[in-house]
Order: sequence, then structure tokens, then C-alpha cells
Amino acid sequence: VRRALPVVLALVAAQPAGAAETTMPPKGVWLIDVSYVQSTIDKAWDGNRQAQSLIDPIPRYEPGAGLQGILSARPVATYQIALFQIAYGLFDWLTLAVNVPVVLRTTIDANFQWTPGDYQSSIGRKYSLDDFWAWAASLGQPRPADHWVGNQGTLADILIGARVLLPQPKVMRPLGLRIAGSLQVALPTGHEPDPEELISAGTTTWDLHAYGDVEVHLALDRPFLIEPSGVARVNIGADFFYSYFRPRTYQTPTGSLNPLILTYAPYVGSTYTIDPGDWFGATLSFDLAMIEGPTLNTWLSRRAGSTFGWPALLTLGVGYTYIATQQTTWQSSSPQWDWDREKHWLPGDKNLVRVVATLSLLRLGLPLQIYGGYRAQDWIPGRYTRAADLFTVGARVVLKAW
Amino acid sequence: VRRGAAACAVVLIACGAAQPPPTREVLHLYGTPYARGLQHGAQLSSKIHSFYTTLLTASLFPYLGREQSDLETLLPIYQDPRYANGAFAYQLMLDSAHNVEHSLTDDERNELRGLSDGSGMSYDDVLVLNTFVDTLLAVRAIALAIRLSRAPQLTQLWVEGSPPQPYQVVPWAALTEVPSSPVFHVTLADPDGIDRASVRAEVDGTLLGADAVSFADVDAGVLDVRITAGDLGPPGAHTLVISASDTAKTDIPPPTHENVMRDEEILFTTQGTGLDAHDVLRPRLDDGRTRPPPVAFALRGSAPLLAQNFALLDANTAHNHTVVLVHHPDDGPAFATVGWAGVVYGFSGLSSAGVGGACNPSDTLNNSVVANVLAHVDDLSKARLVASGTPIGFTLRRVLSTATDAASAVATVEALSHVYGWSCVFADAAGGASHVEVDSGAFSAPAVHADEVATQDALIASSAYQLLLDDAPTLSVAGEHVVPQRDWSGFFFRSQRVAAAVQRSLTPSMGVEEVERLLGDAQLVDPSDSMNAVVIEPAARRLSAAMGQVPATAGPFEAVEVMP
Repeated sequence: VRRALPVVLALVAAQPAGAAETTMPPKGVWLIDVSYVQSTIDKAWDGNRQAQSLIDPIPRYEPGAGLQGILSARPVATYQIALFQIAYGLFDWLTLAVNVPVVLRTTIDANFQWTPGDYQSSIGRKYSLDDFWAWAASLGQPRPADHWVGNQGTLADILIGARVLLPQPKVMRPLGLRIAGSLQVALPTGHEPDPEELISAGTTTWDLHAYGDVEVHLALDRPFLIEPSGVARVNIGADFFYSYFRPRTYQTPTGSLNPLILTYAPYVGSTYTIDPGDWFGATLSFDLAMIEGPTLNTWLSRRAGSTFGWPALLTLGVGYTYIATQQTTWQSSSPQWDWDREKHWLPGDKNLVRVVATLSLLRLGLPLQIYGGYRAQDWIPGRYTRAADLFTVGARVVLKAW
Repeated sequence: VRRGAAACAVVLIACGAAQPPPTREVLHLYGTPYARGLQHGAQLSSKIHSFYTTLLTASLFPYLGREQSDLETLLPIYQDPRYANGAFAYQLMLDSAHNVEHSLTDDERNELRGLSDGSGMSYDDVLVLNTFVDTLLAVRAIALAIRLSRAPQLTQLWVEGSPPQPYQVVPWAALTEVPSSPVFHVTLADPDGIDRASVRAEVDGTLLGADAVSFADVDAGVLDVRITAGDLGPPGAHTLVISASDTAKTDIPPPTHENVMRDEEILFTTQGTGLDAHDVLRPRLDDGRTRPPPVAFALRGSAPLLAQNFALLDANTAHNHTVVLVHHPDDGPAFATVGWAGVVYGFSGLSSAGVGGACNPSDTLNNSVVANVLAHVDDLSKARLVASGTPIGFTLRRVLSTATDAASAVATVEALSHVYGWSCVFADAAGGASHVEVDSGAFSAPAVHADEVATQDALIASSAYQLLLDDAPTLSVAGEHVVPQRDWSGFFFRSQRVAAAVQRSLTPSMGVEEVERLLGDAQLVDPSDSMNAVVIEPAARRLSAAMGQVPATAGPFEAVEVMP
């Protein structure tokens, strides 16, 4: 589990020696992985690494009567996602994979709050939140629901990828390194949010802000303390990657549903473009084989012929990922409107910490691995990014036709 | 941005960061009126569309649209289909814009056409954008006056021990030499009855508790309120503020509310102060219930200065669209105005002839919209809320284009008919300064050349009339009351307070920096609707403006020189 959604190849862990960043199934082996991911996001990091609401406060004014108050929200958005992954070892040195993320549903609790503004002589008091919405309703602006549910059974961007075990130069062999390169491409199958809705969420790579449209990885593993069974007690891995995001064009809200808050089209233009900017990231991971477990004489071991290098019964992995994010740029007919959004997406960074426990039952005769993990993006503050925390639980089956 | 991304990322530094666009611009416009409009429109096209949409389409039009249901009962023309389906506010503004257009010169219309062509915005929309301020103020004045006429009225005021006196709003002290621990009585009247819980009394910004305020019914809907102010200390000027609501609930317009009277600010002095009522300056009042209105002042002398702190309507958008337009016409003096994208004028400006001016709106029912309703008072089915006359921004433009000194500036203003009430100050390079108050002449009240309110070497004009106190008569029209400004305007009291604050702060031969600091004083700054602040040096032909943020004085003053 690397970022907001598990990335295909990083999950392929049924690998001799338990290497984490360069794992690949051997030739002819299938990995079928099903997992449930719950991603929760409730904050964004500002330029001072301080947590802020995901939505800017909206000061509301009564024409000529000053500040009515400041409408703010502390939204909490939760994505529940099912991931279906299939990887196949075409050769021992080449793995192909596809990952189909299906958003089961997205819920957003807006948590609207109100800071009263100026005294309003016309009503003899300061506006309350209810006063404001009553006022807004008289201007044609409906009060949005505090709770939104959507994206039920909606595809996110499907990922396809390949990982290649790179030949090691002779000079590097004494280092005991294992080096792999991978390429991952997102297909634009995700769903964009309704532009006219005040509260909604999409399922594209940009909306999830978890992986790029195209990613290139270079990963290294170095096992230590290798047992006679082939299990490495410790593995240190590293991964360097570059994520490219394609520019995308969106429809501008016209205010048909929210005339007071989302009437942008007359000056923004009917469409606008977002260039999300690219990422550069690096991961450092440690995998500890906590319990090697017994290796039973089962149909599986007999069919395989050898159990050398099969994963330990229980492996604990911890990792840290740093991602430098480039400026996200908006392009419309209104530079001011663009800037009002760009100022929250200046060049910044993410700091991700993950913990994963994997229970491998191969040694007990079942071609099954069960794993669970947590990845936090708010333990170490970032800059100009949103902090999504992620809980994952899943199972993968290893299949091979002998 | 994409180029070099990898390099940026590798060294883990921020690069390619977006930069904010300017919220203030300075445009030099050359040539014929049409050419200048074209340049303005082309260079600020994005901001013009943005300003129109965010201020008018998404803010003012919906706000004004709420008045339709009330107005169409009085003026049935607004039941016409062309005002239906949300078109009421725009159509109302457009009706007035077309009417006001008759008062514009060919050059002014050509400039607007150029602006339309340059920006890609329709001529009608450009016309609305350039006329809505005066029209809106006039319509809003009518709505506000009607609303306040339904609220409780303060009818009597006296100090305990003296006989009851009819309450009359005056810009000076209503009571003088009262005891240092006074007990006041006010009579509140409303046919719906007074909500006792809503009665609010404060002295010098301190809300009085229930033990200091008691009530006695005088008659149905008439309440005597006894207010024990407590010991006010040494002799001095104080402010008693009274407000109350009636017992009727209304949700027109929402939210649901009672009919609330204006905060009546009663200025008084305690024994030993020794000032004539007219000489008492209103003290500072920090009760958080009002904000300073616009204020302008001129300093005569060898280095004359004209300054203005303008506040009216920012709506969280105007500050993103500020612009200083420096016109270089083919003939006539160059001139600069401080305003907004898509608007060909401002409420302050300076010409290369060394004449500067600044105007503040002054609430009045003696406005052109009322005048046009009165013209059809015998048959209201034909009456419309339509403005006529010259908007003050165009008036100021004509001053800057033609005036040679402050006196001729005043003459230009007085010669025009006006859409709404305004109070303007002019200063010239020779050290002259003049102040003029105008209304629309709907009740035959003339403009007042108010130069005589000069205080030593300074002229101070705020938002309320100082001399035109009887701007409108007290009468009923179709069941609605017409009253002078002092009886209904929410600007009336605070306007005198801000003028007093300026008067207390002015010193002989103040320099530009001192004046800029004064403009940033909390007593002068509206934190919500501040729009710009200017210091004009007519002799130096220099105009310094702070704008582009709220409040305007939170940013620096930046100078523009206006040379021939």
C-alpha cells in the first residue's frame, strides 16, 4: 500500500525472499488480489504545514450592509473502495498487472459552521446560520445537505502496469541488490464530479490524488539475515518514482443549482483546464519477517517441489514515502479565479507513513495471503497537499498451473 | 511549468509556483473617447466580466430581486412578464440605465461603446455597470425608508425632572448640560406594540442592564422607557443609543424578523461641559453595530490636499477589480479616476489642471427615482422605479475634464441634475477647496454649496448632509412616508461621528504620510465594505491610492502623476 490507493505492483508480495519493492511472481504464476480500502480525508496542509479545512471559508456579504458572516465547513470525505488486482508472471523477469478500483461509495459530511459578521440593522441582530440560509433561499440559493453520498459502484481510473527485473551489472552483484523498473498507466475510466453541485466528489486520479496518470518506478531491495529456508529476516527497499498527470478540461459551473455560490461561467468561460502538475517521490521501506512459521508437507509444497524462499508466516512492513508535488495550474478566462484555486496547490509535498502486516499461508498449504495496513498522511505534515489516511484489508491468492 | 519539473522535484524545492494576479491596475488610455473605451475594455476584459458577474449577477441582482413581491403590490407594472423569471432586478437596472443614458454626452456614450467592443460585453450590460450605483442607491433608499416607517418611532425625549419634549433628529447635541448621573425618558410608539425585550439602551457603547431600564405603558402601542445612565464622570459629550422592535414578525424579506428601528444616537453633554449644542463633536462609539461610512476632506494652504476613504459595497469582490484610469484625451486635460474594471469613472479623481474631487453618497428620498414615481402618483399603474439625471461618476468626469479650480468644479456640479444625493469636496492647485451637497430636486430643494462649513483650513464631508438637512419634506405618498434624510438614513449618525473623528485628528499643514495614516485609523475604516482610499495633491498633480484589498488601507498607497 503506497498511497491513497494501493498501487498494483507494490501489492504483489508473494515473492521468494519476501522482497517488498521489487516483488514479482515467477513465470506462470497468477496473483489475484481483492482488497477493501477506506480512505478518509479531512484536512489540507497549508504553506506553513498547518492543517486547514479542505474548503476555504466563504465570507458572505449583504450588499451595502457589510459582512453577514463567514460560512465555513470542516468536511470529512470518506471513500470506500474495492480493489481487484490481477498480476501474471509472463517471465521470471516480467510481470504484467491490471488493477480495477471500484468506489463502493463516497460520503461527505460538510460540517458547516458559521461565524457571525456585522450587526444587521435590518433584522436587529447578527445573522445566524439559519438566518443566512433563509436569506440565501430568498435569492434562489438552496441550502446544501450536510451529508452527501454518491459514487456508489463507480469505477475509478483503471491501472495497467508492467514490472521488469533489471539485469544487474556485474559490479553490483556483490551488493546483493535486486533492482526492478515498472511502468504504470491509468486509463480514464473514472468519474468526474457534478460541476453544479456544491458538495460532490469524483473518482479520477486527480480527484483521488493518489497516483498519477503515468508512473515510472525504479525500485531496489536488499535482503538481510537470510535464513536457510530462504526467508530474509529483514529487507530494506527503496523506490523512486515520477508521476505524470495529464491536463484535463472541466465544465464550469453555471449556477443552475447554486446561483449565489457557483455562478462562474460568465467570466471563467464555459470550460477550464487543470494541469495537476507532476510528482517526484521516494520510498524507504523495511520488511521484517516476524514469524517464519512451520513449513508443512502439503499438496502445495509437493506440487511446488521446493519451498525455498516462500514468504514467512507473518511479515511486518513499515515505510516512509516523500512526494514532491509540482504546482497545479488552472487555466480559464479569469486569472483571479485561477489564482483563488492555485494558491492552495502551490508546489508542496506529502509525507506518508505506512504499516502493513501480511499473513502468508503458503507454508501451511494454502496459496493465500491476508494483509491489513494503515497509511497515514497526517502524522508528518505536508505542504499544499491534502492529507488522506487509508485503511486497507485484503487477500490475495497465488495460482499456478503446473 | 512542466519543463524542469523533474529538476525541481529532485532538488526538493518549490519552483514554478503560481503568482497572484494584480488586484489593482493602472491604465493609461489615449485618443478619442471610443479609443479609450476600447483600450480599457480590451485590457481588462477578464476583470470586467468577472466584476459584472460577481457583483451584479451573483450579488446585487438576486438581492434586489427579493423586493419584487413587495413592489409589485404598489407598482403593478412590475407584474409585467418582462420582469418575471428572475429578470426583475436586471430589467429594473436596465430601464434606469436607458433613461440615464439620455443625460450622457456623445463622448461618454462613445467611450461606453468602445468599452463594450473591447471587452466583448454587450452595450446594455456596460451601460448597467456604469449606472447601477446611483440607481441602486435610490431604489434602496425607498425600500429602507418604507421598512423603517413600519418600525417603532421615537417620539419623545426628556431628562427626568423636565417636561417631555418631542424628539427631533439633529446632527448636533440633542441635550446639553444634563446632570452627570442623568435619567432619561424616551417614548416609543408603534401600532403593533413595542417588544419590551427588544428595547436596547446603551451609553457610550456600554449596554445598560435590565436594572437601568424600566417601562411604563402610556397608551396602546406607546411605551415610556426610563433609562438610568449612571454616573458619567467628568463633564463631557456622551452618546445614548436607543433601539427597539415591534411585536410583529415578518419574513419579507427573509429571514424572519421584527420591524427594527434605526439605532437612534442621542448626543448630549453633562453639566459643566460648557459647549453650545452645535459645537459638540460626536465621541467615538465602539459598540460594534455600525461601520464608518465614506469620508472626504480637503486641506487648504500652500500644499493643498484632498483625501477620501471610500466605503460602500465590496461584496468580497470589488477589491479584486480596482483600477486607476489615466485618460489622455486628444483635447482637454489629462485626468485620472480611481475605480473598478469596466466602470469609466470613480468617486475620486484628479486632472492635470490641478483639480481634484471626491464624492460620497448621501442618502435621500429627494432622488430621481422618487421623482419619477411622484410624476405618476395619480395613476400608479404607470409608475416605475426609474432613475434619471447624471450619475455622480460622470459628473465628476466632467469636472475633471473642464474645471480649472474648485469653484468652477462646484459650478459644474450645481449645473447638472443628479440621480441621487451626493456630498462632494473639491480642491485645486492654488489651495482652493469647496464642498457641495446635491440631491435630485424632486421637491425643489436646490443643491447647496456648502463651503461655509469650513473648519479653519479644512473641509470635511462625510456621507450625511451637513447643510441640506431638509432635503425632503415630510409627507405621505400612496400611503408611504417621505421624510428627510435625518429621520431614516442609517448613515446619518455615524457620518457625523466619522467627520468628528477627522476633525479631532486634523492638524495644520498635515503631510501626505500623516493623512495616509489618518485614513487608516480604525475610526475611519469600514472593515467590510472599504473600497479605496486616496490622497490627492493637486499642486503636484499626484494621486496616491490604496486599494486592491479589504480594507483598502491595509495595503500601501501607490502614487500616479497626472501630467498633461
